[in-house]
Amino acid sequence: MTMKVVGQRVKRYDGMAHVTGETRFVDDVIVPGTLTIKAFRSPVAKGNIKDLDTSAAEAMPGVAGVITAEDVPCNAYGLVPDQPVLVEKAVRYKGEPIAAVAAVDEDTAVEAINKIKLDIEEEKPVFDPLEAMKPDAPKVRPEGNVFMFGERPFRQIILGDVEEGFKKADIIVENEYLHPSLEHAQLEPQASLAVPDAGGKLTIYTVSQALYFHLGQLLGILQMEPDKVQCKQWAPRTGSSWRHNAGFSDINYVGGTVGGGFGAKNDIHADHVTALLALKTGQPCKWRWTREEDLLYSTFRGAWRMTIKDGITKDGRIVARQIKSIRDAGAYSTLNFYVVDKHSFLAAGPYFIENVYVQGYCVYTNKPPASSMRGFGITPATFATEVQIDKIATQLGMDPWEIRFVNAFRKGEHTATRRVVNSVALVEVMQKLAEKAGVDLPDKLMTMTSTERG
Amino acid sequence: MYSLEFTVNGQLCQVAVDLKTTLLEVLRDKLFITSPKVGCNTGDCGTCSVLMNGKLVRSCITNALSAQGKEVTTIEGLAEAGELHPLQEAFHDNYGAQCGFCTPGMILASKALLDENPKPTREEAKEALSGNLCRCTGYGKIIDSVMAAAEQMAQAKS
Amino acid sequence: MAERQFFKATDPQEACDLLAQYGGKARLLAGGTDLMVAVNQRQLSPEVLVYLGDSGLNYINSESDNLVIGAATPFTDIMGSNLVREEAPLLAEVISHIASPAIRNVGTIGGNLANGSPAADSATALLALGASLKLVSKAGDRVVAVEEFFTGPGETTLEPTELIQEVIIPKKAGEAKWAYRKLGKRKAQTLSIVSVAICCPLDGGQCQGTRIALGAVAPTPILASEASALLEGKILSEGLIDESAKAAADASNPIDDVRGSAWYRRRAIEALVRQLLAQISA
Ligand SMILES: Cc1cc2nc3c(=O)[nH]c(=O)nc-3n(C[C@@H](O)[C@@H](O)[C@H](O)COP(=O)(O)OP(=O)(O)OC[C@H]3O[C@@H](n4cnc5c(N)ncnc54)[C@H](O)[C@@H]3O)c2cc1C
Ligand code: FES
Ligand code: FES
Repeated sequence: MTMKVVGQRVKRYDGMAHVTGETRFVDDVIVPGTLTIKAFRSPVAKGNIKDLDTSAAEAMPGVAGVITAEDVPCNAYGLVPDQPVLVEKAVRYKGEPIAAVAAVDEDTAVEAINKIKLDIEEEKPVFDPLEAMKPDAPKVRPEGNVFMFGERPFRQIILGDVEEGFKKADIIVENEYLHPSLEHAQLEPQASLAVPDAGGKLTIYTVSQALYFHLGQLLGILQMEPDKVQCKQWAPRTGSSWRHNAGFSDINYVGGTVGGGFGAKNDIHADHVTALLALKTGQPCKWRWTREEDLLYSTFRGAWRMTIKDGITKDGRIVARQIKSIRDAGAYSTLNFYVVDKHSFLAAGPYFIENVYVQGYCVYTNKPPASSMRGFGITPATFATEVQIDKIATQLGMDPWEIRFVNAFRKGEHTATRRVVNSVALVEVMQKLAEKAGVDLPDKLMTMTSTERG
Repeated sequence: MYSLEFTVNGQLCQVAVDLKTTLLEVLRDKLFITSPKVGCNTGDCGTCSVLMNGKLVRSCITNALSAQGKEVTTIEGLAEAGELHPLQEAFHDNYGAQCGFCTPGMILASKALLDENPKPTREEAKEALSGNLCRCTGYGKIIDSVMAAAEQMAQAKS
Repeated sequence: MAERQFFKATDPQEACDLLAQYGGKARLLAGGTDLMVAVNQRQLSPEVLVYLGDSGLNYINSESDNLVIGAATPFTDIMGSNLVREEAPLLAEVISHIASPAIRNVGTIGGNLANGSPAADSATALLALGASLKLVSKAGDRVVAVEEFFTGPGETTLEPTELIQEVIIPKKAGEAKWAYRKLGKRKAQTLSIVSVAICCPLDGGQCQGTRIALGAVAPTPILASEASALLEGKILSEGLIDESAKAAADASNPIDDVRGSAWYRRRAIEALVRQLLAQISA
């Protein structure tokens, strides 16, 4: 039987629209009468807002609306709803949005932002996660600077007994690896367009990479579905003209055309503010972040500090691996803890190691919140563990290829979290890779298979 | 306010502009031609690229009034008599577009190259596109697409 | 707000008249690759713009001992000019490393210099070539050497009513050897972290009037005079190259910025000068 799609080269379903320029990204949706949004952002990394005066901005001709924390029905969002849409009191990173303006054009919006007066008591920030972990460190968050995974201040993975494993080892190799933070720099900056209709419903054009996740959060922020959403840390304010007891049907969330995301669009950056201003002004509102804002204040891959201690026997088998990883999460949880979870689950690498102990810490600092980026924490782990393998090889005087072959998963073995791996082909992939790279591997490696541990 | 008269994709246009208005703003906000994108607004990324009198320029840092009387081409102006330009075909066939955000700029930069140098080497193609960023990083396929289009155009000629 | 005004100068004289008339309020606009970035970033909101694109300042001429380039000549034209490749190949090479084709298509040599950036790449080439600039205003004109043109970051000797008319480059004399290298964050479309341009006329193997120019390592593009003087009348040797490279590093006065640290820049200068002089002596 010949297949139409499987095994065939298929053109992109959206490719033709891309090459003709017809693809409509969020900023390409043009609605007459759309207001331009600009944000008023914190000038300091940590502080306590004493007074915020937006009256001069509101009074400006051309300004249709200004919102502050008071205008946000439920001012907390995220998987763990700890992040305010607009800061009410406690500023936790430089550039954190405090207010937003919708005006007839960009110049007016910028002028209005410049008229907002902020009285803020600056506090000592903490930027280094190691400093932040100390008991007397400045508090980024009231509940503490270290995210609690249940009862523990770290995600713990235990397989076997590493101490026993180390005893069996011929050599111990221990190293620390640093992975810096990294910006996605997706070509399409954060953007959002919200168009209200007479019935109070909203159409939001979004760059979201996670439509339904964000839709749920938006309903929470806007308090459009109060029974389902719990507002944990900030009391909802319901004094204004917000509609209540409304549900999914009240937001027409239009997305799916993303000008590059790479994880940068797994957290709401603009849709909440745009929606609030559209509801407040009754007019379409668009917020396109500048490249500078996107680079400075959108989420990014947080920095990591990883310590790996391995016990290895003379034949190159890793018999015990202990990893302590610290993630610099920035000021809010976003998807950070999920990133640390995945990191911890998979940090031991594609190798069968019988004794594994992983501690994954997620630490708050006064920096913009980090979040997901391609690989959710696994990529930095791979960097560290693969460099570690090369170091083991040097210390053992063994070919690094061999160490990888000797330890690679075989069918039926399991990961550190005891997930049995059935569909494995690392050995074959490495054989192919060596062939393509023109590396002559000894027969002993070239005859290995993923189905048997030789 | 000044009156800017210029040709876009063969059509004569007249728009009111300010001293600070950029060509990109004219195209997107006044003429609703949205294929040139706002990626940085500082000349760094190339996603706003258009051709002005046949030359590749960054519309985000082109003062609109310097386009007075000139001819501007965006990707909408590439197809002729309903036929796609070979570059458009080649980008589609060779997976030169991923998210598509850089694609109009990439294709126009490629056109500027092929107009001047119909048989470029891969190195020359890379140099010609060196100012256009693709963060989906499909550079290999993008260069493949340019080379395929050059090949196709040479064949069509002979 | 005062009415903003846009003028298209049809010749340099008209541009000078407008500059005289509007004083400090007027700004010249050439390719706009610096000016419009500043406008977009709200660092600049010019009241009067004088466009130089059609002012007759786009030319490359050979005049007896000199090569003369109109200030509003775009980089692409300079790079592609046979005359420049013949008489000042160093300049063509340096310009090919500036930005990327789209920027070079409109960005001009005059704008690059007038902008006064310590990282202006054309300045490094012109310093090494011993070029000078013809500046004109309604009051008259004057010629200044490129090394006297820059006075600080973003600052030059240009008066508000003055413009750069042309760049005057002495033609290549005899067996002038040259070498250039720029270090950026990436290969293309990148500002210099450091750059070095060396022009070394050789007379029977001896260095005669070597000029070593350094970019992005001091408040202005500079000549490493000490480093050049060390070579005078001598034949390049490993020891001499080493000495000169160290002197060049000493001549620099770099800062830490987003592109690189002062520490790195000082070392990079030394390494580049050593590498380029070795290349010249080879
Ligand atoms: C993405 C990007 C990458 C870049 N990369 C590089 C690089 O690698 N190396 C490098 O050196 N530069 C680089 N640049 C800067 C370079 O493009 C500019 O310095 C350019 O040469 C300025 O020329 P212009 O014609 O665009 O000047 P404009 O922007 O039009 O003018 C610049 C300034 O000079 C004044 N001016 C213009 N012409 C004259 C004149 N004839 N007399 C007096 N004053 C005048 C203007 O009033 C203005 O103040 C880059 C720029 C961008 C946007
Ligand atoms: S938007 Fe013009 S170069 Fe990026
Ligand atoms: S295809 Fe996404 S940026 Fe190039």
